[in-house]
Amino acid sequence: MFLAILKRLLMLVPVLIGITLLSFLLLQIMPGDPASRAMGTRASAEELEAMRQLWGLDRPIWVQYLYFLRDCVTGSFGVSIFHKQPIIALVAARLPYTLAIVAYSTVIALAIALPFAIFAAARRGRLADVAIRQVFVVLIAMPPFWLCYVLILFLALGMGWFPTGGVGEGFLANLHRLFLPSLVVGLSTAALIQQSLRAALIDTMQADYIDTARAKGLRGREIFLRHVLPNSLISTISIIGVRVSWIIGGTVVVEKIFSVPGLGSLLIDAIVSRDLPVIRGLTVFFAVMVVIVNLITDICYALADPRVRLE
Amino acid sequence: MIPRLNMKALLLASALAMTGLAAPADTLRVAMGFDPLSLDPIASSDNGSIWTQLLIFDTLIRPDRTGEGLEPGLAESWTVSEDGLTLTFKLREAKFSDGTPVTAEDVKFSIERAASEASGWGRFYRPITGFEIVSDHEIVMTLAEPFTPAFNNLALFAAAILPKAQVEAKGDAFFDAPVGSGPFMLKSWTRGSRIELAKNPHYWQEGKPHVDEAVLEVVTEPSARVIKLEAGEVDIALDPPLNQLKELDAKDGITVGQTIPYRADFVQLNTKRKPFDDERVRQALNLAIDKDALVQGVLYGAGKPAASAMPVMAYADPNLALYAYDPDRAKELLAEAGYADGFEAELLVDSGAATSRNAAIALQAMLQQVGVTVKVQMLEGGTQWETTKSGSYDMSVSYTTSDTIDPDQIIGFVAVNPERANAYHTEWHSDRLNELYAEERKTLNGPERGAMFQEMVQILHDEAPYIFLYHPASAWAAKDDVQGFEVLPTSNFRLEEVSLAD
Repeated sequence: MFLAILKRLLMLVPVLIGITLLSFLLLQIMPGDPASRAMGTRASAEELEAMRQLWGLDRPIWVQYLYFLRDCVTGSFGVSIFHKQPIIALVAARLPYTLAIVAYSTVIALAIALPFAIFAAARRGRLADVAIRQVFVVLIAMPPFWLCYVLILFLALGMGWFPTGGVGEGFLANLHRLFLPSLVVGLSTAALIQQSLRAALIDTMQADYIDTARAKGLRGREIFLRHVLPNSLISTISIIGVRVSWIIGGTVVVEKIFSVPGLGSLLIDAIVSRDLPVIRGLTVFFAVMVVIVNLITDICYALADPRVRLE
Repeated sequence: MIPRLNMKALLLASALAMTGLAAPADTLRVAMGFDPLSLDPIASSDNGSIWTQLLIFDTLIRPDRTGEGLEPGLAESWTVSEDGLTLTFKLREAKFSDGTPVTAEDVKFSIERAASEASGWGRFYRPITGFEIVSDHEIVMTLAEPFTPAFNNLALFAAAILPKAQVEAKGDAFFDAPVGSGPFMLKSWTRGSRIELAKNPHYWQEGKPHVDEAVLEVVTEPSARVIKLEAGEVDIALDPPLNQLKELDAKDGITVGQTIPYRADFVQLNTKRKPFDDERVRQALNLAIDKDALVQGVLYGAGKPAASAMPVMAYADPNLALYAYDPDRAKELLAEAGYADGFEAELLVDSGAATSRNAAIALQAMLQQVGVTVKVQMLEGGTQWETTKSGSYDMSVSYTTSDTIDPDQIIGFVAVNPERANAYHTEWHSDRLNELYAEERKTLNGPERGAMFQEMVQILHDEAPYIFLYHPASAWAAKDDVQGFEVLPTSNFRLEEVSLAD
């Protein structure tokens, strides 16, 4: 197992080299340059040139790439042109909020999806099942920005239960403040989990070994808890894995509306201002995160299902 | 009976407890749309950073509330010599927020730093070549050749006066916890989220700031800023969505205000391309646009129509008339120029700027009335700039804002060719205007210089290398108990003037 994990981590190296090269080259062909963004549109050609020199953008592309690789290896991922800070410091300041939303929304999603999936599977084809499915389909289709505003209007402005956005200090304050953004993200995760878990439960309940268990005289509840549910949850693991990778960089809309300083908005702001080192650094950072999340997902798979081996 | 937990009451109580902790009575909370990136004045160009710096640092002189004149800052008085080559400043008895006095040494250091290679604003200050420190409170600056904007540029944030000893000792780290002589000092800074400021106890304006603390909350989503105001989480929301202004103003307990800042919106016309090389065509396009309708429809009334591509600022000619809305005359001019049947053209617009996008669609409809068929092409902002710069465009919706109160910067940008942007990529050119530009920069501030600006703007208006659109307002919404708040024409705000009535 440890050897397998080590092997997977080593496979990261070529993947990362590919990603650094790709993100670097893509940015080279992206129009717009940070100097004219920083100086406003009113700067002279000499001034723009001076700025590019100051930021090292005038060096040959391969030299810039090597510097970039060095920064990745030394762990700073480069220095932001506009924030004047190492990218790792920018990430460190924002990562806690992003991770909080990842964890919080996953807990919310499971809390919602599990009961509804079990309930729907038990009443397969009946009215309750159909109704639940329709509700969750609507949840998947609902645009997040709309859901954000609806929740703010009803739960924050209307009932006054939650603040309208922003982050606080300390665990409890953030548990309260990050509830609405996590709920928005969690609801769509919940919808995905509910649909796949329901299908998996139905599948498993029809499996031969369940009949065997029943024939052995095990009680229904025991069969469900020891055989049906664990075997069905395996599909949920991969959905959570995919969602987590997405949430880390993809919740910009939710972050913007709820004023949460997360990684997604950092990336979007960097793209708008053409803060090349931040875009590059974050791309690599996201890639590392996706690989790690996938690895963890695979490990969970292996732990949950003895037939699966890490290779 | 089993008592049921009242979730609503519980949550409400915890919400109240938390807001209670976060906001003592004399804290002014402002929601702004920009995330300050750096507090180093010479390395900043974004509004969030600039506005914050102007609350923490002082400049020698500063724009007054009208935005057309200057008033004393750290300098209590000054003289400019007849030939414009010598500027003498007398400093007031002011202290930095750590209690150390502001001296002429600090002034020399700060202006030299602003002129250095590392500065994004170097060109504004490099004309100042000599510094003579007469005493702790008097400094003389000299110029090698006359350059009138140099004096006005000292009122810009980039010329903020910093404590020399501390900046030298701490280097870049100084700007993580800066010390200035402005009304507020930095208490804490959560990047991407909020800046907390505390009153500077040593501030030179007696009795100000009126509030003990001020919090700048970064809320980039305009609707979210308004929601925060309505929920009572902030006292002031900057730049609310324009289409909500009327509704907000009608609400109890909320007041809306607006200022026209130094900004002009227009459509660049590529005068290197046919038919925009013909002055009559350009004038016709201006006559075909109903500017009042644009202000009402696109800006929801928050702004005024523009007669030129210059923001309304010092030396502006109050008598400069707008191009009237006259589609018939526009058609005549087009016919004279040989385009009786109109023509087709492409219009670039920044896809990220909602107002410009709406303007483009309105322009398309208005120009169709005079036979001009416009294809709207949406581009990302950076791409739009590159495209106009390379000259491969017909028309492009754009705007300019002025950093300094001296109109020299913007006239040089939008009207002078060859210069920094070749009349903002219109490639339009006027010898007379170029002459006036060279002359204006050597002429002392006064009516003579003013007349030169008015003539330049008149030429720009007449030859119309742009379709002039409007000057959009900067709006804000505040709770009724906020007193003394306004956005200045320079777009920043002085929180030291604000008090909270209870």
